[in-house]
Amino acid sequence: MTTKSLTIAGAPRRRKFPWPTFGRAVGLTAVVVTFVAPLAWMLLASFKTNVDIYDSSKMFAFLPTLDNYGTVFGQANYGAYIWNSFFVAFVATVLSLVLAVPAAYSMSRFVMGRSAMVVLLARIIPGVSLLVPWYFVFSQMRLVGSFAVLILSMMFVSLPLILYIMMSYFDSMPEELEEAAQVDGLTPIGAFLRITLPLSMPGVATAGILSFIFAWNNFMFALVLSGASTKTLPVAIFDFVGYASIDWGGLMAAAVIVTLPIMVIALFTQKYIVSGLTAGATKG
Amino acid sequence: MKHRVALKAAALAVGVLTVGALAGCTTSGGEASDVVRVTLANHVWTDLIKEKIPEFEEQTGLTVELTQLGEDQLSDQYNVKLNAGTDEIDVMMYRPLQEGKLFAQNGYLAELDDRIDAASDWDWSDFQAGPAEATTYEDTVVGVPLVTESEVLYYRTDLLEQAGLEVPTTLAELENAAKLVSEANPGVAGFIARTGRSAAVTQFSSYLFSFGGDFSEQGTAAVNSPEAVEAYEYYGGMIHKYGPQNVSTDMNWAEASAIFAQGQAAFYTDASSLYQNLALPENSTVSDKLGYAPFPEGPAGSKPYSIPAWALGLNSGSGNQDNGWKFIEWATSFDTVLATQEAGVPGARTSVWDDPAGTSSFPAALAAAIQANAQNGVGYDRPLVVNVAEAREIVGDPIVVGITGGDVPAAAETAEQKFQAFLDDENQ
Repeated sequence: MTTKSLTIAGAPRRRKFPWPTFGRAVGLTAVVVTFVAPLAWMLLASFKTNVDIYDSSKMFAFLPTLDNYGTVFGQANYGAYIWNSFFVAFVATVLSLVLAVPAAYSMSRFVMGRSAMVVLLARIIPGVSLLVPWYFVFSQMRLVGSFAVLILSMMFVSLPLILYIMMSYFDSMPEELEEAAQVDGLTPIGAFLRITLPLSMPGVATAGILSFIFAWNNFMFALVLSGASTKTLPVAIFDFVGYASIDWGGLMAAAVIVTLPIMVIALFTQKYIVSGLTAGATKG
Repeated sequence: MKHRVALKAAALAVGVLTVGALAGCTTSGGEASDVVRVTLANHVWTDLIKEKIPEFEEQTGLTVELTQLGEDQLSDQYNVKLNAGTDEIDVMMYRPLQEGKLFAQNGYLAELDDRIDAASDWDWSDFQAGPAEATTYEDTVVGVPLVTESEVLYYRTDLLEQAGLEVPTTLAELENAAKLVSEANPGVAGFIARTGRSAAVTQFSSYLFSFGGDFSEQGTAAVNSPEAVEAYEYYGGMIHKYGPQNVSTDMNWAEASAIFAQGQAAFYTDASSLYQNLALPENSTVSDKLGYAPFPEGPAGSKPYSIPAWALGLNSGSGNQDNGWKFIEWATSFDTVLATQEAGVPGARTSVWDDPAGTSSFPAALAAAIQANAQNGVGYDRPLVVNVAEAREIVGDPIVVGITGGDVPAAAETAEQKFQAFLDDENQ
C-alpha cells in the first residue's frame, strides 16, 4: 500500500513545460531591457570621461569619476535650475488643481459637455502654434522671462489634463452621497467640500502628479518664455551641447539629475499614475 | 448657465490676479537702456567673452544681460522672437550662412553701414573678404564675422609613417593613402567623414568646389554637372570603400570625429574648429599622433570652404541699438579678437592672423593649414538660399546614395530636378 502510493507519488509525471509563463518572462525581459538600456547607459556615462564614453571596450569596466557631477553643480550652477523647475512645476500644479478640480466637479455634475469640449481644444491645438502669439502678447505685457509666464504656460497644459482626469473621477462617484449630505443639512458647496472632495483625494493625487511631471519635463514653452534667471532644467541641459564640442559626460550627469526626481515620483506613486492614465478608459 | 458664467469669471479673476501679482518681477526693455541684452550660442568663444565682459562693463558703464543657448535652440528662439518683432534682444549671435539670408530678407538685422563708416579705428577693411561678404546682404553690411572655420585634413601620423607615405596633397593621393593604410591595418578605416544627409553637405562642399562644381550657377541648379557627380562619387566612394564597416548614414561631426578620436580611422576631413575634440587628451586617444594638412587639391585645385561660422548682428527691433553696437565694436575689436584667438578661437581679422601672437595657440601645422585654406577658400559651404535646411536635405541625398554604394548619377539627376524646383519656388 505504502509502496504503491509512494510509487504513484514519485512517478515521473510529465509536467507540461510552462510555455505561457516562460513566454511572458522572455517578453517582459525584452521590454525591460529595451527600456532600461538607455537609462543604464546614461547613468554609466555620467561617471565616465569623454574619451571612455566613446570606447565600447569600456562599457562596464572603467575608472569612475565624479567630475561630471562637479561640473553640473559647480560651473553650470544646476542648483538654481533645479529650483526654477521645481517652483514652476509646483506652483503651476497647485494653481491648476485649485481651478480645475471645482471646474471638473461642476462639469461632471451639471453635464456641461460643450464647455468640456472647449477645454479639450487646448489639448488638441499643438503648443508650438501658440508660441508666436503667446510670445507677442507676453512680451507686450513685459512678462517674458518671468516665472509668471512660465507658470501660466504650464497651466495651459495641466489644466485640461486635471480637468479630464477629475471629471471621469467625479462621474464615477455616486451622487447619492451628496444628496444624503444635503438631507443632513449641508449646502451643495458644503457637500462638495466635506464629502466629495475628501473622497476624491486619490484622483486629485493622480492628476497632481501627472501635471507636475508634465510641467517638470516641458521644454518648448520654457525655451522661448524663460529668461536667464528663470531657465528650467530641460532647457539648461542643452548648455552641455556646444558648437563643435559636446560635453557628453556633463550632459549625461545633467540628464540623470533631470530624470531622477521623476523616476522616484513615478516609482512611489505608480498606482495613482496608472489609474490616472486609464481613468475613463473602461467606460462604455 | 449661471454656473458657467461664475466659473468663467472666477477663472478670469484668478488669471488676472496671478499675472498682476507676478508682473512686478520682470525686466523692462524697448527703449535705450544701460542694459545691453546679448544672446549668444554655446561656443568656446562665448565662454571666453563671458570672462571678459566685466572689462567691457567697466569701460562703458553699461551692464550686459546675457542669454546663452545651444545652436538649434538659439535658432528656434530667434524664429519665434524675431518673428514676433521682439525688442528684448539687442545683440544676437547668428550663423550667417545658415540663417543670415532669411534674417536679412525679413529685416531682422539692422543695417550697420553708417556705424562702420563712423568707426574708422575699428577698421572694417581688416576683416577677411570671404567672411565679410557672407555678412553682407544686397551690398549692406548686416553682421560682423566672429568665428571662422575651413575644412582641413586630419590624419594619423603613426599610420602614415608605418606605411611609408607622405601627407597627401591631392585627392587622388588621399584615396591611394586611405586604401593602403586600411589594407595594412585591419579594423582601422582608411577614411571617415560626416555621413548624414544634411550634416555632410557642408563638408562635401570643399570636395564639390575642388572638383570644379558648385551647388548652383547663376540661380540654376548644378548638382548633376559632370564635376558635381564626380565629387559625389568620390566623397561617397571614399566612405563606402575605405570607411568603417556597416557605417551609419546619419553621422554628424560628433559621431565622425569620435571614430577618429578613438583611433579607428586614418584620415578625417572636417571643420578646423573641431580640432580640440581630437587634440586634447581628455577627448581623444590619438592626440599625440595627430597631423593637420590643408584641404587636398582636386582637378580644380584646393578649394575648401572658408567661412564665418558665427557673426554678431543688431536686432532691428531693438530700441537700444547704439549700446548694442558698442558691445559688437568691443567684441570684434583687434584686442578682443587677438585675446580670443590666442585662446584658440579663430577669428576673422587679417591683422590678428598676421600677428605671431594670433597663431601662437594653434598647433603650427593647423595654423598653416588654416592660413592656406583662407587664401584658396570659398566663402560658403552650403547652398546660398533662404530655406537652407530644406536645400541641404535635397543636395545631400546623392552623398548618402554614394556611401551606400548606390547609383550616384541617377541620384544626382533626381536631386538636380528637386533642387531646381526648390530654387524656382524660392525665387518667385
